[in-house]
Amino acid sequence: MASPVSNGAERQSGSLVVVRTADEVTSETFIRITADGSVSAYNGHVDLGTGIRTALGQIVAEELDVSFARVVIVLGDTALVPNQGATIASETIQITAVPLRKAAAQARQFLIARAAEQLEQLEGDLRIEDGLVRGHDNRSVSYGELIGGEDIRLELADDVTVKAVGDYAIVGQSVPRVDLPAKATGELTFVHDIRVPGMLHGRVVRPPYSGVDAGPFVGTSLIAVDESSVRDIPGLVAVVRIGDFVGVVAEREENAIRAAEQLKVSWKPTPSLTDLSDVETALRANPSTPRTLIDKGDVDAAISGAAKPMQRTYVWPYQMHASIGPSCAVADVQDGNIRVWSGTQNPHVLRSDLALLVERPESEVEVIRLEAAGCYGRNCADDVTADALLLSRAVGRPVRVQLTREQEHAWEPKGTAQLIDVNGGLDTDGGIAGYDLATRYPSNAAPTLALLLTGRISPEPAVLQMGDRTAIPPYDYDHMRVVAHDMAPIVRASWFRGVSALPNTFAHESYIDEAATEAGVDPIEYRLRYLKDPRAVDLVNAVAERAGWTPRPVREEKDGEVVHGRGFAYALYVHSKFPGYGAAWSAWVTDVAVNKTTGDVSVTRVVAGQDSGLMINPDGVRHQIHGNVIQSTSRALMEEVSFERGAVVAREWGAYPIIPFPDVPKIDVLMLPRQDQPPLGVGESASVPSAAAIANAIFDATGVRFREPPFTPERILKGLHGETPATPKALPASISPQSRIWENPFAKRAGIFAAIAAVCTAAIGIGAALLPGRAIAPIARPDASVYSAATIARGQQLAALGNCAECHTNIGGVLNAGGRALETPFGMIYSTNITPDVETGIGAWSYPAFERAMRDGLHRDGRQLYPAFPYTHFAKTGDADMQALYAYLMAQPSVRATAPTNELAFPFNLRPLLAGWNALFHDTKEFKPDPAKSDAWNRGAYLVEGLGHCSGCHSPRNALGAEQRNAYLAGGFAEGWEAPPLTSLSHAPIPWSEDELFAYLRTGHSRYHGVAAGPMAPVVRDLKALPDQDIRAMAVYLNSFNDSAADAPALAAKLESATQVTVASSTGARLYRGACAVCHEVGGLPLFGSRPSLALNSNLHSATSDNLVQVILHGIAHPVSSDLGYMPAFGNSMSDAQVEELVTFLRKQFAPDKPAWTGVRETIARARASAH
Amino acid sequence: MTQTPIRFTVNGRIHEVTAEHQTPLLYVLRNDLALNGPKYGCGLGECGTCTVLIDGAAARSCVIPVGGCAGRDIVTLEGLGTRDKPDVVQQAFIDEQAAQCGYCLNGMIMTTKALLAINPQPTEQEALSALRYNLCRCGTHVEILRAVMRASGQLAEAAD
Repeated sequence: MASPVSNGAERQSGSLVVVRTADEVTSETFIRITADGSVSAYNGHVDLGTGIRTALGQIVAEELDVSFARVVIVLGDTALVPNQGATIASETIQITAVPLRKAAAQARQFLIARAAEQLEQLEGDLRIEDGLVRGHDNRSVSYGELIGGEDIRLELADDVTVKAVGDYAIVGQSVPRVDLPAKATGELTFVHDIRVPGMLHGRVVRPPYSGVDAGPFVGTSLIAVDESSVRDIPGLVAVVRIGDFVGVVAEREENAIRAAEQLKVSWKPTPSLTDLSDVETALRANPSTPRTLIDKGDVDAAISGAAKPMQRTYVWPYQMHASIGPSCAVADVQDGNIRVWSGTQNPHVLRSDLALLVERPESEVEVIRLEAAGCYGRNCADDVTADALLLSRAVGRPVRVQLTREQEHAWEPKGTAQLIDVNGGLDTDGGIAGYDLATRYPSNAAPTLALLLTGRISPEPAVLQMGDRTAIPPYDYDHMRVVAHDMAPIVRASWFRGVSALPNTFAHESYIDEAATEAGVDPIEYRLRYLKDPRAVDLVNAVAERAGWTPRPVREEKDGEVVHGRGFAYALYVHSKFPGYGAAWSAWVTDVAVNKTTGDVSVTRVVAGQDSGLMINPDGVRHQIHGNVIQSTSRALMEEVSFERGAVVAREWGAYPIIPFPDVPKIDVLMLPRQDQPPLGVGESASVPSAAAIANAIFDATGVRFREPPFTPERILKGLHGETPATPKALPASISPQSRIWENPFAKRAGIFAAIAAVCTAAIGIGAALLPGRAIAPIARPDASVYSAATIARGQQLAALGNCAECHTNIGGVLNAGGRALETPFGMIYSTNITPDVETGIGAWSYPAFERAMRDGLHRDGRQLYPAFPYTHFAKTGDADMQALYAYLMAQPSVRATAPTNELAFPFNLRPLLAGWNALFHDTKEFKPDPAKSDAWNRGAYLVEGLGHCSGCHSPRNALGAEQRNAYLAGGFAEGWEAPPLTSLSHAPIPWSEDELFAYLRTGHSRYHGVAAGPMAPVVRDLKALPDQDIRAMAVYLNSFNDSAADAPALAAKLESATQVTVASSTGARLYRGACAVCHEVGGLPLFGSRPSLALNSNLHSATSDNLVQVILHGIAHPVSSDLGYMPAFGNSMSDAQVEELVTFLRKQFAPDKPAWTGVRETIARARASAH
Repeated sequence: MTQTPIRFTVNGRIHEVTAEHQTPLLYVLRNDLALNGPKYGCGLGECGTCTVLIDGAAARSCVIPVGGCAGRDIVTLEGLGTRDKPDVVQQAFIDEQAAQCGYCLNGMIMTTKALLAINPQPTEQEALSALRYNLCRCGTHVEILRAVMRASGQLAEAAD
């Protein structure tokens, strides 16, 4: 089949089309054959990644008698294809392909009749090979020649004779997918790949009521958008707000992303939403309208007379479609013409929505459908198309909008939760006495979001009739009633693979299994008593045989920690508007292994049998069965949307895990040969028996019945051992972050002012008694040429050691020109310009003035400098080094830059008070080497204690903010990060050694401790300027505070093997697995960058959670070196509760001998509030 | 905002791009170099759809700032081969029909490429572990595993 490159359907000179006339002006084309012999076929459904394009090509090629390669299938362009509704319910082959097949047959019949005429032979004597009609005398004429220059238009007839199945040569053969070569080599395929000239990039900002689309607050919650908050973003084109719709447009995508993150938007508080921590209670409380689907026999009498009553409740959780690619679209609104490129499932429905949204006629809107990530129902593809349209309309240029992962997770219309009560029981013979099923299914209309957010449509919830799919069991019970309770949505929901049929079947197939157990009958034999459909019976028998099912009237008790079990389930997926019709029949036999200690369930093998009728492309069917088995196993074992205060909180893959490769079961597919029967939908059927088969197998393994997926370790353990579940903690209203500034008031940027406050009372007398320094006269800027290059180079090294530029350079600003805002609780101070500009920098500073500042903390003009500037350390610097540093600073380019005035409240703006502080705590003496120590030690001490000012952060401070001399390097706090102890007080599980200190200071990474992050990363980066021997000297000196080293490799191996994560049995563990393990798991596939081992990481073993929280929230964007790799920030992807779960898990898992951290939630709040 | 041009090699050609250094490599590859292979999936390095090779190692381009790529050698899906001349791993994925929607395919192929570079004949268990953090939602795992074994010339052992 030809590649579906052009959706443009170019017109040749002559053509044959088969059309269906809708009205006087509208007709829909199904087949077009042009004079060059090429064939285009048009179908209103789209390929959702199931290979439907290939199968439709086979059907057309077969009926037309052309080669598969000649056919181009055109899908989903509203300007070209017939309106056949949304691609749902597995009906493309079963329903939508029917007119296409007829059109192809009709075209063939027309052409062969014309050929018979031209060749003057009987139709029956003609053969067709790839569009070439050949007579018995070997004369031939091609389809193209038969069409010639003529425009032939055939009206699609209903009574066309199609080929007999026995004559099929293309249909029924496995044909490779036509789309894979392009996808495997990176050709343009997906809507994400569309690039239109002049295209801009947009992002949207969604409201805080994540994933909820009904209620009066929807579309009415926006208070204000502060456009000034994004004014600094380059290439920003527009900020757009309409109702609750907020979007940004920028020239470059990364700037659109930044703008969306940075934009200050204020929202009204969302009213209380339905508490979804207990789905059963929530669904039971949701008002509903009963709708009886069947009422047969006398159900009430039968049940009241049952020998053994059995009342059961089955609960299905909210789940996500969880498309791997977040939705994306491009819109181009120009001159009244609207063109959108979309991954929609329903181009025509979307076109109506878009027309409604922008109040234009549908005829002005063209929806071009391209492939997107698989959606298995409806994801945000329509939403993002409408978003793109609004943004393009606002700026008059094409705009591409990509939703974030977080937005797709939060806002995709969920597969809805469902609650099914079955009342019934057994009669005296062990048969089903009666079956009374009530199913509750919150509706799933999910209007296109932009319509709601902009207020174009009312956010009144619509109640649909959807919960009825496969609600009637496939078993012929004498007394049976099924009632669907239709209800409004609770959260935004739409159809999801096996819509309502999968949960309903979970109830049917669990219940009959329970009944069989009670009756003491083999579960398959028991089902066959009630199964009357012969194709169903054939399938059940075939699957049982294939799986080697051993009848088991009575369950055997299993021994051991890991117990094995086998389960069966069957379904005929009945879909579409009630009473609907059946797709393929499906049955599962599944084997599970349950670890009774950990609660871990492994689905080890699935025998999946299916009767699909005629299979157009058997390999395609097989792949659909594989996909359904794997996806539905994932849904049954691990998938459940989490909520906080009723809003969706799972916004990345750690919070909503899907099955990973190692957990995929072995799958044995059995496809019944039914090529003589009509083709049936195969896109969903194999999912439908999944959860029940697994639950039945778990029962067989454990003797415990589980009636609420997902079958997570916690649920299994609770079921097996009756442990009380960890009750979800009530969320605190809001925590005002406590400052940690008192722990190190002198850390740079954290400010010194807490100490000043203390000094104000304690030392004011001293301060008042001392005079500030005298001014030192300004000089002309020294001529840097008087200094040797070697001196300047040495000064540059020393500046790096002192980390001067870190504070004295504004973010994105000129080196050392100052102006960096240093936020303090008492106001803002700004670092000064230390370039040699005479007026605004230090160009007028003589060396004595510079030296006095460095040693005594006095400005040239005599003012006290705040000891955020660490002159208490710099004072130790030797004269030669001090001069070299001066030389370097004076040799820099001078930059005119005045730092903004400090914004401090009284009394913190009173500099003279610092004189008192200096008198108490400042030792102005130069460094004196210790003759008892080695040269290296002394060199290290000079670097560490002096310009390196390590203890400025790594020592604790006293109440007045001075370093505690008796706790040197015993650990402190800086900028919201813990500066860990560098002595034997270190919490590192493997003690530091000289070599590891050297490695860490040299590269920013120690195999046994982790990577430098936070405020330490720029320190190590600056140390690159120093030679190896200086770094070695620092390591020698620092190591002298440590105990003797351990056998690090052996200890590391022991710690790492003892802390391996084998089962994810908590929210925190799942977050680790989904978000962290890819880079941190020991022994994983090497990835670019380092793989810090969490078992060895000092931060996990520390007394406080600060550094771990910091790095999770803010990531590592600026590592010491790019070789170390980067860590993404999870702060915008995880809630406080999730981060707390994760941090708590990491501590328990990787530092098992350490006590749990306390106050983690406060630490998170504090770290979020900090700018770092 | 650092905006100095960044030079690196992509698919054997030297490129110089001007972008803010913190821009994830993914956006530069897709928007400045018009490459389709690496895909946005999560922006957090969790799912693997954006995988490229950087200096031969698998790398999640959505979390690597372009500034960190200066001077490095980057290979994307396009750099492996073309429709007419596919790489052995690409061919194995096509032969095994190892995609449904195909959105994760880039990550699967590039991760396999990185795996085979350090372990040319992985066992099934090793292949499963290597792909553990590449997510596929369609459930194509069976075909993907076969493709890995085919690409490493071990299909006989992989057949079920």
